[in-house]
Amino acid sequence: MNTLANGIDSVEPAARVAALTADIRERADPAQVRADRVEQLYSQLPLGMGATVVTGVIAAWELREGRLIELVLFWGGLLALVVLLHGMLYLGYRNDARRHENTGQWLRWLGIGAFAAGAVWGFAAAVFFPSHADERQVFLAFLLAGVLSGGIPMYAASWPMFAAYAAAIALPFTYVLATFGNRLFAEIALLIPLFFGASVAIAFRLNGVFLSGYRLRHAYQRQLVELQEARRQIEASGRKLALFAERAPIAVLELDTDGVVHEVNHAAELLFGYAAGELVGKSAKQIVLPKYHPDFDREWAAMVKSRTPSAGVKVRNPRRDGLTVVCDWTVTPLVNPEGHLIAVIAQGRDITAQLEAERMKKEFTSTLSHELRTPLTSIIGSLQLINAGVLGDVNKDVAELTEVAERNGQRLLDLINDILDIEKIESGKLALNREVIRVDELVRESMLLNKGFGDRFHVRFEPRGELLTYEVNADRKRLLQVMTNLLSNAAKFSPEGEVVEITTEEINGQLRVGVHDKGPGIPEAFRSRIFGRFNQADSTATRQKGGTGLGLAICKRLVELMQGRIGFDDRDGGGTIFWFELPRHA
Amino acid sequence: MPDRPLQRISYVEDDEDIQRIVRMSLERVGKMTVDVVSDSTTAIARITSFKPDLVMLDWMMPAMDGPTLFRHMKQNQETSALPVVFITAKATHKDMEELLTLGAAGTISKPFSPKDLPDQLRAIWAKLP
Repeated sequence: MNTLANGIDSVEPAARVAALTADIRERADPAQVRADRVEQLYSQLPLGMGATVVTGVIAAWELREGRLIELVLFWGGLLALVVLLHGMLYLGYRNDARRHENTGQWLRWLGIGAFAAGAVWGFAAAVFFPSHADERQVFLAFLLAGVLSGGIPMYAASWPMFAAYAAAIALPFTYVLATFGNRLFAEIALLIPLFFGASVAIAFRLNGVFLSGYRLRHAYQRQLVELQEARRQIEASGRKLALFAERAPIAVLELDTDGVVHEVNHAAELLFGYAAGELVGKSAKQIVLPKYHPDFDREWAAMVKSRTPSAGVKVRNPRRDGLTVVCDWTVTPLVNPEGHLIAVIAQGRDITAQLEAERMKKEFTSTLSHELRTPLTSIIGSLQLINAGVLGDVNKDVAELTEVAERNGQRLLDLINDILDIEKIESGKLALNREVIRVDELVRESMLLNKGFGDRFHVRFEPRGELLTYEVNADRKRLLQVMTNLLSNAAKFSPEGEVVEITTEEINGQLRVGVHDKGPGIPEAFRSRIFGRFNQADSTATRQKGGTGLGLAICKRLVELMQGRIGFDDRDGGGTIFWFELPRHA
Repeated sequence: MPDRPLQRISYVEDDEDIQRIVRMSLERVGKMTVDVVSDSTTAIARITSFKPDLVMLDWMMPAMDGPTLFRHMKQNQETSALPVVFITAKATHKDMEELLTLGAAGTISKPFSPKDLPDQLRAIWAKLP
């Protein structure tokens, strides 16, 4: 599956490219950039100290001939002290393991050092310039200009540091030149600030270049780390994906846009009986029956054009050994961000066994229906003829037993019918025969149908109040089945001599039919599974009063098939109200 | 509605027990005359000679099933006009509809109540043109 990942990732979305090229320097970490600057400043120190010592010795030598030899020695001492302190600063910095974090502190000390070094040279200008003759003054001016310029590369990584250093030299020098009383010197004094300004400007520019360089370096470093991490993640997810496909229990095939197999997983090898090498590089038509090749070509072309994924495509596929398997295919075209189709993933689930099981279940249901009903027809029919008295009177004991036999035969038949109903509903094979029905007529019909049942339990069915004449769009036979279930339950569980009341009402556009019994109520523990299959609150009731335990389960499914709902409430003063609601027919 | 009461019935059914119950139901409860045919392949000849008012056919029979026999009857001049009622344990709603559109007079599903069977047949008879 690696080719997939590459296919997607090799093409950058335009937006991402733009974001990357915007200014990569923005991505640098400022703390790291600062550490680099400090490192650069300190790395210049040995060179600077060397140059200072050499220049200092030459200067002291040249200036010693004057009368102020002690002053020269004092200045030389100051310069040596500054160099020494810089040396210590350098060593201190080099030995600080946390120097890249304490950048602020090291920057501050170096700033003070720079100013001190500048001040020592400024002192030389202030003290020695007025006290020497012409040639020495030229020497000194040249020396000071050199020392000042030399600071530019030294402090290139921090222009304010250079400005402090240069100002410490230039200010005293400008002052002595301006106050010397010589017109030429006064003019030079005017030029020095310009020279200072230009130097600081150069240092500023240089500083910018250095900074930009450091930021670029860190941004690229960071980019590199991120790229490596991203690559690691892609490889990991690629491995994970490959593993998903390889270990999946369904056949997974990666095909190119021409329908040529690129990669297959182990399940695909097992399912079709081909080794991966026999499938890869060949058209997927190898596992399509030849008579379906034109269909395959047509479907494939449509899919490549529309890039629409499809699922639940059932196909009979030939195996290498000549047998066939029926597969449920999920086909997914992979499209990259530019909208190009790069591959097609086909996942096939073997449903041969499932289809066979479905066929067997259907056959079983059909057999159950016919083979059980036929003998029951004979049994119940015979008993009915006897019990109806068609054959003349029978002995009282015999009559009692034939009635027991008929009742139980009927129960068995009810159970078979209920099982078939549930099976039909759950397999989605129950077709509703909808018509517009008046609710009051339905209720009256159901009461009439169940009168005999009520009589058996000495319970009467009566409407309470006026029945609504509203209409519903429903299956009459199935709705009567629901009513019969509710009425017979109410009769079974009501005490003898009681009245079961039927109500109709409209609640928010729903017509509700309620059956109110005076039974013992629904036990708490049974409430949640009352509409489940083969559930009865008290299994002894089944034996005493009959019923399959499927009635309410069927009612719930039937009512829901007709876009309604079913439920029950406790009745004030004992008993239960079972109700169902159906949308009122407009 | 035919101008005479329903009297003579031919019944084609392979199950002997059901034959007996239907015969008893129609003769004792319905006071009708019944000719029961066990072998569907000889049914047309038997029906032709018995001259019933109405024919009842079982759906599932070993030699020739009810719907096939029905189609044969439709092709035979002497039997094509007879009203036919199917009695079956199996038929789905769709199958029933199909038979009715083919011209069956009615359907009765198994298990039927032998007490009510004559009345069910008379109700179908009453609806005939």
